[in-house]
Amino acid sequence: MTNLIRAELQKLFTTRLWWAMALVMFAFTAFGLAFLIAQAGVAPANGQPGLPALDDPAWLPLALSFSSGANIFTMILGIVLMTSEYRYQTITGTFLTTPKRGRVIAAKLGAGVLVGVFFAVISLLFTGIVAITAVLIGGGSIDLTSGRIPQLTLGVFATLVLYALFGIGLGALVRNQVAALIGGIVWAYVIESILGAFPALQTVGKWLPGGAAQALMNIDFDTGLGQPNLLPAWGGALVLVAYALLFALVANLTTTRRDIT
Amino acid sequence: MTAIEIRNLSKSFGAVRAVDDVSFTVEAGTVTGYLGPNGAGKTTTLRSLLGLVTPDAGEALVNGQRYASLDHPLNEVGAVLEATSFHPGRTARDHLRIMTTAAGLPASRPDEALEQVGLADAARKRVGGFSLGMRQRLALAGALLGQPKIFILDEPANGLDPAGIQWLRGFLRHLARDTGAAVLVSSHVLAEVEQTVDNVVIIAKGRLVRQGTLAELTGNGGGAVRVKTKDDFAPALRAAGAEVEEVEPGVLRVKGLDAEEIGRLALDQRVLLTEVIHERSDLQSVFLELTGEGAQA
Repeated sequence: MTNLIRAELQKLFTTRLWWAMALVMFAFTAFGLAFLIAQAGVAPANGQPGLPALDDPAWLPLALSFSSGANIFTMILGIVLMTSEYRYQTITGTFLTTPKRGRVIAAKLGAGVLVGVFFAVISLLFTGIVAITAVLIGGGSIDLTSGRIPQLTLGVFATLVLYALFGIGLGALVRNQVAALIGGIVWAYVIESILGAFPALQTVGKWLPGGAAQALMNIDFDTGLGQPNLLPAWGGALVLVAYALLFALVANLTTTRRDIT
Repeated sequence: MTAIEIRNLSKSFGAVRAVDDVSFTVEAGTVTGYLGPNGAGKTTTLRSLLGLVTPDAGEALVNGQRYASLDHPLNEVGAVLEATSFHPGRTARDHLRIMTTAAGLPASRPDEALEQVGLADAARKRVGGFSLGMRQRLALAGALLGQPKIFILDEPANGLDPAGIQWLRGFLRHLARDTGAAVLVSSHVLAEVEQTVDNVVIIAKGRLVRQGTLAELTGNGGGAVRVKTKDDFAPALRAAGAEVEEVEPGVLRVKGLDAEEIGRLALDQRVLLTEVIHERSDLQSVFLELTGEGAQA
């Protein structure tokens, strides 16, 4: 199985997509951090500040939680890990090399976990370095063990890993690369955003992967739309594990018996 | 043990019966041509053999086992399917490295296999820029990675230039004669494999039509010659030991002498021949008829 996971990682790292994704992720994160830094503690004409100030202990967790925004990139890599096999018909060679198809799916899911961890590390490192620098310049102090930072870090890892698995499951189900990518992005950016943003819709949204990840990270920041309606952190973790199993099952069921013609 | 064994294999796609009760075997050290027109069921048979397609009935076995149950498939079977199954952004060497990693083969194999098919110079080039012939060679390199003793090739000559086809013929002969491998190669063009194969299996509309040795197919043994002449030639032919039948006035069917011997006899006897034709053997006429080439012949 180690060999198969290594082969799956080779598939990803011998094409150019992964570093394109990493670059876009850096740009995306940098853009978001610039906004968080610029708006930190800035109050409208008369009213409360929209975001905590840089020296407010609440700012750093907020900035770090932004790392979970990289989920879209691990999802795309997960989708591509599966659908490029169909797009370029390399699935034929893959199944000739490993005819026990369940092992191929297991290896892809294993590779998806590693990709999620890898992107979580580089995303957290990048966000952490920028955000901590900003806090220190803003006159705040750093305590990485305080508040929700350890749990939040775990939440970023869980989110990025889970979305990689979600991408693999979606790719196995849809197989058409373009359709899967559009479907996945619409899901993550439109459907989950809407169902996760408004407390009234969060009765549904909290059960979705995005809502469950939010619960795990426990970002109870008031966006002005009312208190978020989320599961407890352990509930969020359970829902995420359930989704991971569901995606693995979908990927397995749709792939192991289908004729490759 | 029989290297490749197809036993009563059937497979339908929807209402189309792609393969219907097909059986044949391929022994070690021989090259078998699997012939038939496009859409005859060749690819479905080969894909069933490779575990990519699940048959409705019957069995397709390599070394007595289903492909899907092999623990080290690349060490037992090398397969070349369609030429397009590469990621265009990946280099030739990386493509083989991934297979090598997944199969747990020595890391030296990709370079050795590329050398063997004459692609060493293009090892670090992206497959997207490869010609069809180079892709076929790369596919073949993939089949060679595990140094198997069974090769299954689906239309490997497709898209090759004459020099490439020449090279492929030599390579397949080398695999069978020198390494004792069993080779099953499909084609819809008889001429492509004629000079390479020992045995022939012909399939049309999913059903096995004929199988036999190449000699039977090309009619080198026992073929009759059709002679048209206005002269009385039959007695001289019979005197030379031939079996002669007058199929219609002025047309003789001669067995036991070939066209050259008949022509020389006619010269000696000062007989004027207006037509001398080698009759096509049964297998060949069947094949040409099936592939639609019979009309021109």
